[in-house]
Amino acid sequence: MTKEHENYRELVWRLAKTDFKLRYHASVLGYVWVILKPLLMFTIMNFVFSSIFNMGGSGNPYYPLELLTALLLFQFFAEATMTGMMSLVSKAQLVTKIYVPRWTIVLGSTMNALFIYGMNLIVLAGFFVYYHKLPSFAGISMFVIYSIILYVLAVAFSFLSAPFYVRFRDLGNTWEVLLQLLMYSAPVVYPLSLMPLKIQGLILMNPFAFLIHFAKQALIYNHYATFGHFILLLLGIVFAVFLAFLVFRKYEKTVAELI
Amino acid sequence: MNKTEKNTEIAISVKKISKKFLIPHEKINSIKIAFINLFHKKTFESFYALKDVSFEVKKGEFFGILGRNGSGKSTLLKILAGVYTANGGEMKISGLVSPFLELGIGFNPELSGRDNIYLNATVLGLTKREIDEKFDSIVDFSELERFIDQKIKNYSSGMMVRLAFSVSIHANREILLMDEVLAVGDSNFQSKCLREFARYKEMGKTVILVTHDIGTVQRYCDRAMLLRAGEVAMIGSAEEVGNEYIYQNMSDEEKRIEDERRKVKPSQVI
Repeated sequence: MTKEHENYRELVWRLAKTDFKLRYHASVLGYVWVILKPLLMFTIMNFVFSSIFNMGGSGNPYYPLELLTALLLFQFFAEATMTGMMSLVSKAQLVTKIYVPRWTIVLGSTMNALFIYGMNLIVLAGFFVYYHKLPSFAGISMFVIYSIILYVLAVAFSFLSAPFYVRFRDLGNTWEVLLQLLMYSAPVVYPLSLMPLKIQGLILMNPFAFLIHFAKQALIYNHYATFGHFILLLLGIVFAVFLAFLVFRKYEKTVAELI
Repeated sequence: MNKTEKNTEIAISVKKISKKFLIPHEKINSIKIAFINLFHKKTFESFYALKDVSFEVKKGEFFGILGRNGSGKSTLLKILAGVYTANGGEMKISGLVSPFLELGIGFNPELSGRDNIYLNATVLGLTKREIDEKFDSIVDFSELERFIDQKIKNYSSGMMVRLAFSVSIHANREILLMDEVLAVGDSNFQSKCLREFARYKEMGKTVILVTHDIGTVQRYCDRAMLLRAGEVAMIGSAEEVGNEYIYQNMSDEEKRIEDERRKVKPSQVI
C-alpha cells in the first residue's frame, strides 16, 4: 500500500537524538544531569544501606560498586520501559497526522535511555578505578552482553505495552509501582547472598533479577552463570520478543483512532 | 505519445471504501471502567465516516476534495496516507505518497528552525544526505534565512507554515496529500505555493488537495470530488463540483434560516 518509507534507520536515529536534545533543554546544568542524577541517587542509597543497614559491613568492601552497577542497570531499564510504553501517546502527532511505521516511534523513544546509560558507564568506570578493581576481559564482555539483553527486554516490554497504554493510561502509574516492586525483588540494593538459599533460586527465575545479579557477579567477582541457565535466559528473551512482535502487529493498527 | 500514455495511468484507485467508527457511550480509558464494563453490556454507536467511496485519480492530476465539516474528507485522506485502516473496500496506490496531512508534523517549538527542518524532513522520508543537499533550497523557499537558528517557538504562525511547507515540497514524492494547508500564510506566499503546485503538475506529480476554498479548487484543480455525510455526492470537473458545492451550501443555509424562522415564530407574540 502506501507504506514505503526507506529511511527507517535514520528516522529512529533522528527521533532518538531529538529526545536527547530536548530532555535537558531548559535546565542550567543540562547534560550534567545525565551523570549527576544517578550519582545523587547512589549517594543516598549507599548512605542508607551501607551506614544504616550496614550492608557493606558484612565483609564486602565492594558493596558500593555492586550498588552502583545494579542501580545504573535498574534506572536504564526503568527509563527505557517508561518512555517506550508512553511513546505512542507522547508522539501522538506522528501517529495521527502522518504515516510513519509505528515501531520506529517506539524504538526511537527507548534509545534515549540507552544514551544515558552509555554515559553513566563512564562514571561506573571511574568508580572501579577508585576502588582499585580491574574487571577481567571476560567479565566486561559478559556485562556488556547482559546490558544488551536487558535493553532487548526493555524494548520488548515497550512494544508489548505501548498499544495498550494508548487504551489504558492507568498503565503508567501501574508500571511505576511495579518497577519499585521489581527493584526490591531483585538484588539491586542487597546482594543475592543475603537471601536464604531456597529463595535465591526463586529470585533468579525473574529474568530482570538474573540479569542484574550476574552482571554484577561478572563485572566485580568474575563469577558467571552456568551455560544452561544462560541459554534458558536467552530462550525466555526470544519468547518475549516474539510475543511483543505479535501483539504489537495486531494492536498497532487501531492506535491512530484511539489516541 | 509518451506524455499521453503517462496521463492515462492511474495513481490512486479507491473502490468502495468505508470507515466505521465505534463511538462508545461511555469512554473506556481506565482499567476501572473497563472492569466495570465487563459485567455490563457495552453500548456502541457505529458511525460511518465514509460509506462506499470510490474514485480514481490519474497520474499528474490535480484532484480536489470538497465537503463541509464532518463530511469525511480528512478521514479519507488519512486512509490514503495509511494512518487509518479502512473497513472493507479496495485501494491501490502507485507511487510514493508524501504522507503529510498537516504541515510541520513533528515540529518541536523548543528546537531551532534548522533542527526542525532535519526532523520534519526525516519524518517525511528523506535521508540525511538528501536533506543536506536540499537544505539551502528549503531555507530559500521559506524566506527565513535570518531566523533559521532561532527556536521556532519564537516564529509567527505564518513563518512556521512557510518553513513546514517548504520542507514538504522538498520531500519529493509522486503523490502529495494536503489537508487545508494553505489556510495560514499571507496571500503572497499562498500564490507562491500554488505556483509550486502548478510546477508539480508539469512534472507529472499527483496532488490531492482537501479544502473549503472553492476558489483554489476551481482555479488549480483538474477534477474534484464533493463529499457529503461520508458519501460521494459528485465527481466531475473542478468547475462543476465547485458550483455544486456552493449551491448545496446555499440551500443548506436557506434550510437553516427557514428552520430558525419556524422555531422563532410561535414565541413571537406580537
